[in-house]
Amino acid sequence: MNATKNKTVYLGMSGGVDSSVSALLLKEQGYKVIGVYMKNWSKDLPGMKCPWAEDLADAKRVAVKLDLDFEVWDFEEAYKKRVVDYMLEEFKKGNTPNPDIMCNQEIKFKLFYEEAMRRGGDYIATGHYAKTDGKNLLRAADENKDQTYFLYRISNESLEHTLFPIGDMKKPDVKKLAEKNNLHNAYKKESMGVCFVGEVGMKDFLKEYIDIKPGEIREVESDTVLGYHEGAVFYTIGQRHGLYISGGLPYYVVKKDLAKNIVYVSKNLNDDNLWTTELELGDIIIRTKKAPTEVLVRLRHRAPLIPAKFNGKKVVFENAIKRPASGQSVVLYDNEICLGGGIII
Amino acid sequence: MIYLDHAAATPVSKKARAAMEPYLADNFFNPSAAYLPAKKVRADYEEAKSTIAHCIGAKGSDIIMTSGATEANNLAFSLIKSKCLVLATEHDSVLKVAKNYDHAEIAVLKNGLIDLADFKKKLDDKVDFVSIALAGNELGTIQPLAEIAEIIRAERLRRLKNGNKTPLFLHSDASQAMNLLDINVARLGVDLLTINSAKVYGPKGVGALYLSHDVRLTPMLFGGGQENGLRSGTENVAGVIGFATAFKEAKEHLNGNRKKYEKLVKILRDGLKESAIEPIFLGADKHQLTNFCPVSYPGIDAERVIFKLEENEVYVSTGAACAASKGQKSHTLAAIGLTDTEISGSLRLSLGELNDEENIKQAVEIINRTVKEEYERNQK
Repeated sequence: MNATKNKTVYLGMSGGVDSSVSALLLKEQGYKVIGVYMKNWSKDLPGMKCPWAEDLADAKRVAVKLDLDFEVWDFEEAYKKRVVDYMLEEFKKGNTPNPDIMCNQEIKFKLFYEEAMRRGGDYIATGHYAKTDGKNLLRAADENKDQTYFLYRISNESLEHTLFPIGDMKKPDVKKLAEKNNLHNAYKKESMGVCFVGEVGMKDFLKEYIDIKPGEIREVESDTVLGYHEGAVFYTIGQRHGLYISGGLPYYVVKKDLAKNIVYVSKNLNDDNLWTTELELGDIIIRTKKAPTEVLVRLRHRAPLIPAKFNGKKVVFENAIKRPASGQSVVLYDNEICLGGGIII
Repeated sequence: MIYLDHAAATPVSKKARAAMEPYLADNFFNPSAAYLPAKKVRADYEEAKSTIAHCIGAKGSDIIMTSGATEANNLAFSLIKSKCLVLATEHDSVLKVAKNYDHAEIAVLKNGLIDLADFKKKLDDKVDFVSIALAGNELGTIQPLAEIAEIIRAERLRRLKNGNKTPLFLHSDASQAMNLLDINVARLGVDLLTINSAKVYGPKGVGALYLSHDVRLTPMLFGGGQENGLRSGTENVAGVIGFATAFKEAKEHLNGNRKKYEKLVKILRDGLKESAIEPIFLGADKHQLTNFCPVSYPGIDAERVIFKLEENEVYVSTGAACAASKGQKSHTLAAIGLTDTEISGSLRLSLGELNDEENIKQAVEIINRTVKEEYERNQK
């Protein structure tokens, strides 16, 4: 207990139940906790109001309830440049990036961390479902909620100064604790998906920034034109929605020709383009001293772990897997330890 | 619960609720339908409109029912052909519409009253519409509307003499004043007046716009041609009947209300003054609605205070940049020259039916204690 006395923690508070309970736990553990709302994005979209002010109020309400100091740190400019612009550029290249991963790497565990240290903080903390032993990034106790997929790119330096107060807990217990302590946010609806895209969906968000460019939808097997789309960049391989094709079995996007702005689709779920036994990675981050060879792989948040071999550039699977889109992350594990990962080329 | 936010919303009175009830089910007919029961509903609706109109010294045919004060204000602005003037402390439903037109803002004095010299200066040949709330929603400042109307009349005369054909209309949003002032359109000298059920113990989502005879509006909603073709849409019968009942009731209690709130606000003010951390009282004392008590505790974070008060079931609002204001600080408090620190420490306490001596005394104790806690927290 005494080890925590006089230690200052800057806790990222979003107004959600996870960071609220984190605040409660840190306070109970005896830390001096300063709640911080990171103002990353406040832009409204047509027909959708960005809820940042409500989120901020929810976060502050919890902080006040727990009698914590509370501050708002503005990262909007950096967030636009390093997260949103990155995301838009990747989409324009035909990739399907993950902005949440970039937000953790560039904002929460970089700018937020640096600012907290500059202000004399001993630690930062977040309401992520993840654990750390001070050196390694570890999977959360709640396998169903584990968020290390989003955290694999954060620096070791920041991790050494990071606390994940709810990493040992299961989500239902987090909710119960919130209710027991009358943190009203326990009842707040959980946000899903990318925060700044919100309810409108990624395609509608992208359309605010990328002009539509009509093009053909072709069946990959016959090369016949089946219909038209609003721009190949809006489509992701494996996706089955929004093709404006009616009747019969659903079509899946299997290939994009960005230069010609053609989207290729197929009804055949066994189409070669949709499956692979290996994935080549770029922007690889290895968190451990020596690069692993036998690994467990997570291809999406909450997806099951799959055994694979890693040669430093490629992950190779024994059986074919459904190919994730380029731009998505592959995260590597050795049991509980998150080893790092890379971005699919 | 101690509710000190009657300027934001009022509970629907018992009488109004009872009056509405039959029109939610049994008398559900569309007032435009041809059969007798529907015609009866039509008659009741028109009678309710007359009641509302009488409360402001007008006839039923002079008012257009709307979905509230925001719509009424927006509709009023459709009159503008050239340029409008609005008071810098107006509600957003006036300020933001004004931005769609050539417009200028009239300054206010430190006490919240209109700067008449600035008004006269800005009232140029192009201005054809002026909007000034009878009483502001944040400070409760009662503007000298009759005096303003006099200036407008003089300007109209001057224009006629000079052969200038630009008309000039005066609009006022009277929503906040309905419980406390005897509103009469002729005495006020307005051409258009906004009123709002939600502020007078009637249901939300109902309001009205009074129009003098020479006002020619452009409708925003088209359809069945209800409300003299100026606001299409099936009539909100129950809502309008609730509004009429509540407004009439309030009108009957004007004098009693004024005195009651005067006394309660005095207890409130005296109590807050006794605290170790004394607030600044905002607005023009004598020209303020007697149920308003806006204050500021410079250096204190009002939003924190609100959350702490909320835990004690005391509900107040603030002009500080917070969620309720989309993170924007109050333009009204900035317009009367408050510093950012003063605005961040501002609380709006507004009294009403739900208050009595006892709960005001309790509120004083809780507010004083909370402010002191926050003050001491800042000292650490």
